[in-house]
Amino acid sequence: MDMDMDMPDPDELEWMESHGLLPEEEEDVYFDDPDEGFVPPHGDSDQPRDSSQPPEPAPPRANEASEGGLKRPPPPPPPEKEEEERSKRRNVEREDSEDEEWLRYSPPPPAPEVVVAEKTISRFASEIHGDCVPVTAPNGERVYAKLAVKGLVGGGINGTRQGAHFSNPNPNHKGLLSESFHSLTRRAEQEALAKALQESTDSLDNEASSATPLVTEKLWVEKYAPNSFTELLSDEHTNREVLLWLKQWDSCVFGSHIRATCDDVLSALRRHSSTIQKNANNKNFFSKSKGGPVDMPLNTPSSNSEGLGGSFSKRSPADNTPEQKVLLLCGPPGLGKTTLAHVAARHCGYHVVEINASDDRSASSIETKILDVVQMNSIMSDSKPKCLVIDEIDGALGDGKGAVEVILKMINAEKSNNSDRSTNAEETQVRKASKKSQRMAKLLRPVICICNDLYAPALRQLRQVAKVHVFVQPTISRVVNRLKYICKNEGFKTSAIALSALAEYTECDIRSCLNTLQFLNKKGVALNISSFDSQVIGQKDKSKSILDVWKQVLQKKKLKRSGKAESHFSKDKDTDSLFTLISNRGDYEVTMDGIHENFLRLSYHDPMLQKTVKCLDILGVSDCLTKYVYRTQQMPLLAYQPPIAITISRMVAQVEKPNIEWPKALQRSRTMLLEKKDMLKTWQTEMSPVVSRHMSVESFVEDIASPFLHILSPLSLRPVALNLLSQREKDELVQLVDTMVSYSVTYRNTKFAPQERANISVVPHDVPSLSLHPPFSDIINFKGYQSEHIDLSLAMKQLLVHEVEKQKIIKYSAGKLNQTNDGDVRSEPLSAIRKKAIADSIAPALHSSKDSSKRNSTTLQMQSNSASSLNGKSPAPAKKHSNRATNFFDRFRKERLVDAKTHSDAGQQGATTQRDSRPLIFKYNEGFTNAVKRPVRVRDLLLS
Amino acid sequence: MLWVDKYRPKTLDKVTVHDQVAQNLRKLVSEQDCPHLLFYGPSGSGKKTLILALIKQMFGAGAEKVKMENKTWKIDTGTRTLEIELAMLSSAHHVEMNPSDAGFQDRYVVQEVIKEMAKNRPIDAKGKRAFKVLVLNEVDKLSREAQHSLRRTMEKYSASCRLILCCNSSSKVTEAVRSRCLNVRVNAPSEDQIIQVLEIIGKKENLHLPAGFAARIAAQSNRNLRRAILFFETCKVQQYPFASNQVAPPLDWEQYVSEIATDILTEQSPKRLYAVRQKFYELLVNCIPPESILKKLLTELLKKLDADLKHEICHWAAHYALCMQEHKMRLGSKAIFHLEAFVAKFMSIYKEFLVATFG
Repeated sequence: MDMDMDMPDPDELEWMESHGLLPEEEEDVYFDDPDEGFVPPHGDSDQPRDSSQPPEPAPPRANEASEGGLKRPPPPPPPEKEEEERSKRRNVEREDSEDEEWLRYSPPPPAPEVVVAEKTISRFASEIHGDCVPVTAPNGERVYAKLAVKGLVGGGINGTRQGAHFSNPNPNHKGLLSESFHSLTRRAEQEALAKALQESTDSLDNEASSATPLVTEKLWVEKYAPNSFTELLSDEHTNREVLLWLKQWDSCVFGSHIRATCDDVLSALRRHSSTIQKNANNKNFFSKSKGGPVDMPLNTPSSNSEGLGGSFSKRSPADNTPEQKVLLLCGPPGLGKTTLAHVAARHCGYHVVEINASDDRSASSIETKILDVVQMNSIMSDSKPKCLVIDEIDGALGDGKGAVEVILKMINAEKSNNSDRSTNAEETQVRKASKKSQRMAKLLRPVICICNDLYAPALRQLRQVAKVHVFVQPTISRVVNRLKYICKNEGFKTSAIALSALAEYTECDIRSCLNTLQFLNKKGVALNISSFDSQVIGQKDKSKSILDVWKQVLQKKKLKRSGKAESHFSKDKDTDSLFTLISNRGDYEVTMDGIHENFLRLSYHDPMLQKTVKCLDILGVSDCLTKYVYRTQQMPLLAYQPPIAITISRMVAQVEKPNIEWPKALQRSRTMLLEKKDMLKTWQTEMSPVVSRHMSVESFVEDIASPFLHILSPLSLRPVALNLLSQREKDELVQLVDTMVSYSVTYRNTKFAPQERANISVVPHDVPSLSLHPPFSDIINFKGYQSEHIDLSLAMKQLLVHEVEKQKIIKYSAGKLNQTNDGDVRSEPLSAIRKKAIADSIAPALHSSKDSSKRNSTTLQMQSNSASSLNGKSPAPAKKHSNRATNFFDRFRKERLVDAKTHSDAGQQGATTQRDSRPLIFKYNEGFTNAVKRPVRVRDLLLS
Repeated sequence: MLWVDKYRPKTLDKVTVHDQVAQNLRKLVSEQDCPHLLFYGPSGSGKKTLILALIKQMFGAGAEKVKMENKTWKIDTGTRTLEIELAMLSSAHHVEMNPSDAGFQDRYVVQEVIKEMAKNRPIDAKGKRAFKVLVLNEVDKLSREAQHSLRRTMEKYSASCRLILCCNSSSKVTEAVRSRCLNVRVNAPSEDQIIQVLEIIGKKENLHLPAGFAARIAAQSNRNLRRAILFFETCKVQQYPFASNQVAPPLDWEQYVSEIATDILTEQSPKRLYAVRQKFYELLVNCIPPESILKKLLTELLKKLDADLKHEICHWAAHYALCMQEHKMRLGSKAIFHLEAFVAKFMSIYKEFLVATFG
């Protein structure tokens, strides 16, 4: 019911104005808040906000007052309850011209009066009998009001209930006053309005404070906060852009029947300064800026029923909302972002709803909140459309990210779903329930987001869809002018120089300037420059980017006004500011890394390197400190980090601009170190445990790597066919292959990477090269270092690859064989078998296995037996043909350049005779695929 | 297989270098029980070889059947569950691992693996050892917390497992742990011992060693047996029959460090220091421990230094080495700060000396 009561009734208000009601009654119009829920005596006094207004003395005017839909703080004489109710009804349903509706609720006696009253105001002149006058409502609506020539004023004076109805052409009401009185009162009323308007502008943004008269002194920041667009201190261009953006919403928000801000206005907005805009604005929202005289938006008769409701119903499906639905204002604190948002929104006729970091910003709660703002329209107190201002959106972390998400969701929903919502206007009650569930709402009201850090990770997505405005610092002169004005108003003596120094000191943070000034004023201290470095003026707690920090540390501030008084304390000030800078940044480790990375490249004077030593020493201290803090969790010790940086700064900082680089080297070295360690570790696990258990990463890198590379690339090995090798060379090859297998090293094809292989000159450039895998040869590849390692020829490598692969298969199958034969022994016998097999495979005809087995210890005797049984020399039938098959495949292999064994070997002949003596012979028909039908194990092939 | 592995003594009987230690160990395990052991000594002295030989002595051939696995430990610390992956090598009788690889979480690993071993201890204790052996490598790199947690577990589970700890420097192992173990110092082998080993290998490989060849390699190896054998094999691979004056090619990283030393000695300025920093990065990236760099750098610098300065430089080297040890290297590794600080200090002292001497 409350809500209903708040419906404004501008028409009647205007009507009353036009009909020259008594001044008191006029005020009654503004302040009455008829509330039927109240008991008669104090029924209208629920809202004490309008304390500044005189109480309304005339009881008979109660019903008109109620029609005004305004609040009346002081208890007026009790109005009739029925009348109030009736009048309220009228408010609600007047649009519908539903007479019966309110008739039902209202008591019989007043009813006819109201009927008459109803006729007094109409949209159409024809409906009014007698004289009428056109009245323009605050919301722009134009109606005709009947002229009740004589009776009205008299009625008012009478104070009778009947007189309450100004519209009643009751002869009783024929007063003594003439027409001239109308104009008189109207003029008086207008003056009062103007005055009230003047007052209200001050209190508009701070309704609450004005309500409590106890507050004797407001914060200057609030007191002198810009109330109108013209007073804004922030950059003109930005202001206008924001306003322009808001204006683009007009047609969407306020509907078309109110004249939308037309193009010429918009263009004018672009062209001119804000005075024009104000006019344009006032055209549309005349009643808002003008009609909210007394001090709150509450009493503005607003366009709710007609304007807004109409806009809902009449809006065309393709409402032309601006392209970017969200405005993102960013900039350092204290420049007036929030103020701009508020002022501009108010200026454009919105009711500002602010969500800031102190509110609950979880996704769910923010969603309802935004939906409230965006879709619903309060009919309670204020029917202005709402504009959502989300402050400090970059601080939204964790749950707070909900706001961004919801907005993004709404924007996206909008894109996909472009249908209109015309159904909203009808039922105010149903609206709430039905709409929320309807669909993910479109964004129908402007949303302004405010942040300090545009590049906060939380805003990444929002940044892409929003219109971004970066606040720039206002010029100092502008700030100073303002400060001067305020100081003058407050009677605080100061000088322009001091003010500009203050502005500079606070980096044009107006809020902090004002707070400082007020503080000083209160203290009775005059502002002078020397107080800057005292504790009186605090500095903003702001963090800068790490690059700025490094720059500050490594660059000496230019003493540009050394002549001025500032210079003598600049050193202390520098130290202070550095300290705050670094400690605000907080990330000491990175800070130190950056200093370490960059300080050596500064050209500081240091012939004996004492400064350098000192710097590095304290960097070391910092490092130890960091480690200690992390180990023991004694965070307070971190406070000693900034002085370390300051010390370095004192020693090495130069005036010229340093070329700051991000400390990539350290981080890169860390990641690379981890990579290499990983590589070595995985390699270690691939090795056979017998070998790897004796090797650690350190011992490998320190002791093994270099000799190992030498060993892997023996000089003596010639890249020739195996059969051409001498016995000793074969032994060496066997040894090498065995080493490679047991260390699980092989060669792999790699793409040619010039810088990697720069110091290896053997390989022709166009040939795909084979390099060691795992690539531990990189370990000794220091930059700018020429290692003496020779690289094997490509052919040699290919040969080795082949042999290694073969040995791996043999090893695998031998391992399996071993498991089946005798599961007990594994690791050592395995190597024995392998050794044997290598020897055999490389010199099959020479039967050099004896040599190799001799080399092995006697414990391996049994295994060498088993290995020799694999050799194909035993007369098992399965092995017989395997020899042949091997030869066939070997022939095949030869074509691939890798051929290890050839038939031409002289020693082979023994094998050939052996083969001939066997009964089974396979013949291979070329092109005939099923020549070999027997399943043959690869092992058998390889163990020829 | 490399000769290093090939000619590694597998049993305590065959140990040639530290035969005295081996004898004592054999006596130690000839009885049924043995205490916890802590082997310490410089790298390349044969700690690991002794340990493995000892284990074989204890458990027989069964201890040689080892498998390598990457085990993932799930550890509930109360507030969160940690997952630690660690490579470990295990047989039926023993487990080898390097808990310091787990970084911060090393203490959980130590506790967990010991508890697990205690859980599944061998049932048939007749004629066999009733315990398993846990070999922990690089104990000196364990965090202090891990070492503390170790000392309680050592006592609590001593019925089911024996610890064999292995480290380079016993001073980095806490007193408490040291006192719970039988400390076995494994010296770096003397040059004579190295020569002896090389000759044995030469004989087995049927190589003819020219006179003085083995001694040269031994001298080059800096009393590191592993290096000596590797150098030996390198020489063999590169040229055989050996030339009378043949030397093994130097280790690359040491070569690089000596280049750095030359750089430092030729010019002392912040710019040169910056160049040196880049070279340090190169070394660090390639897993060379900063302590080794500092040590090698110091020896290289001392070679070319006036005797007056040697003492001071050594002092500062020790100072910065201590700084580096202050924090554990494996995390973050800002050892570069300290390395650089040493170089800067050296440059400063050296330059002062130069100016004082030559004007």
